[in-house]
Amino acid sequence: MDLLVCVGSSCHLQNSREVIKRLKELIEEYHLNDSVELKGSFCMGHCADAGVCVKYADEIYSVRPETVEEFFKTTVAKA
Amino acid sequence: MENITDIVQIKHEVLRLTARHAFDGDLYDSYDKIPYEMIEGIKPQFRCCVYREREIVRQRVRMAMGKLPQDVLYTDMDSAQVVHVIPCACEGCPITKITVTQNCQSCLAKKCVKACPFGAITSTPQGAVIDQAKCRKCGKCVAACPYNAIVEIERPCIKSCPVKAINMDENDIATIDPKKCVNCGACVVGCPFGAISDVSMMVSVIDALRDGGKEVVAMIAPSIEGQFGAATLPQIKQAIRRLGFDDVYEVALGADMVAYNEAAELSEHRAAGEPLTSSCCPAFVNLVHKHFPALEKYVSTTVSPMVAVERYIRSIRPDVVAVFIGPCIAKKNEVMGSYVDEIDYALTFEELYAMLCAKGIEVEEASPVPEEATRYGKGFAVSGGVTGAVSAVLRERGEDAGVRTQKCNGADECRKALMLLKAGKLPVDFLEGMFCVGGCMGGPATLAEIQKSKKVFDTRLDGADNVTQNVESKGLDKANIHRHS
Repeated sequence: MDLLVCVGSSCHLQNSREVIKRLKELIEEYHLNDSVELKGSFCMGHCADAGVCVKYADEIYSVRPETVEEFFKTTVAKA
Repeated sequence: MENITDIVQIKHEVLRLTARHAFDGDLYDSYDKIPYEMIEGIKPQFRCCVYREREIVRQRVRMAMGKLPQDVLYTDMDSAQVVHVIPCACEGCPITKITVTQNCQSCLAKKCVKACPFGAITSTPQGAVIDQAKCRKCGKCVAACPYNAIVEIERPCIKSCPVKAINMDENDIATIDPKKCVNCGACVVGCPFGAISDVSMMVSVIDALRDGGKEVVAMIAPSIEGQFGAATLPQIKQAIRRLGFDDVYEVALGADMVAYNEAAELSEHRAAGEPLTSSCCPAFVNLVHKHFPALEKYVSTTVSPMVAVERYIRSIRPDVVAVFIGPCIAKKNEVMGSYVDEIDYALTFEELYAMLCAKGIEVEEASPVPEEATRYGKGFAVSGGVTGAVSAVLRERGEDAGVRTQKCNGADECRKALMLLKAGKLPVDFLEGMFCVGGCMGGPATLAEIQKSKKVFDTRLDGADNVTQNVESKGLDKANIHRHS
């Protein structure tokens, strides 16, 4: 399953690089390298949300560096 | 740059203004003013009215900011798709059809009428007339006319696409099928109205440069030589540093690493009686992946020179923001699709030039610094260069006897060679695939025509000439540059 993180300019300001870095670590931590593929995405049109735009299983989430672990546990690791 | 065609000028101006506002820190307040900064008054310059002109500019600003054109339905797209149609800029050119031109002499032989298998042509005193309802576009009349008076008109976008990924919607607006598209950028260059363009990561790079929290390093593709007239590599690097980059690395160094690794891979493949193809060109890799999946096992598992040099950089400076700068649109797709957790951003030479112009920086004199890469690593920028470098390493190791190599120069040669390979009719050990004619120097996002840039490039191949020595002396052989590390 693709885990898409926006690399657009608005999300960059919301620290998308940090979110990508943490997601990469979490994927390894949970041994999900074979089932989850981390990819970049251009703008998904949710720039006004308070966080970095992340898409997983056709759902769009707004993730901040402080909430990335919680998001991963409840959404990606659970699935 | 001299001889700017209008469409190149428009794209450049949008990028330059977007870059300037981003450097000034007021882009988010002023991006919607850019169409008015570029197009004043009410007299149209290049389209039917200023309102359409401004709308096209507005969509281009979106793409410069890393967004898709507003009227493209994103959910249908691969997230890493870089090349997009700007629907409001598409003229909906006449579809493929056979047309009689004024060259028709209303001759008596009526070869066109006789040549048509569908009875679609009638001869009139005013010339031959084609019944478009009956015409099946076989082209027999085009070949038959002794005056070359019948022509086949094809949409330039469709004609330029080497993988037939462009279709038309019900309003004749071009659409791209992301399942087929290899993001090579041929249609970006091919559309005479500039209605197809590439999404940019430039604003994010500028934000990272302004932010100053982390070191930002540039990785420049070898084809940069010749892009700024006769400027030397140290002069180009100096200009890039003045933009705020903390350091500039040559991707040619990564090319040396790739040649070193790929030579070993080639010897393994030969021992197993299997061919090996290069993997440095992302459009070629996409072509194999999307159109020849059965051949994927022959593609080198060595990463591209961009990723190789990035891994080397991170081995000594783990926390940098790494930005690739090259002539290539497909490189953005490679970064987004496969290396978003390693390479931070990819820029084109067009975007680099826009950033330099926005800051008023000219590429100027600088004191020379030693060349990082060998002439072979640099050679990855031109067709035949990868073959040359891999052969050089094999020669250095005494393993070169009887190696059969073939280079594919451009998309058509790539496709033909892969079709033969698929049929088991290509007796080669090493196949070099470069999707752009001439190699990266002929890339879609270059600033200078290849005829000019190649002349400069050819005078700069005076670096070291032993790849093995260069890689081992710099400790580059320690980095793991296989895919999926």
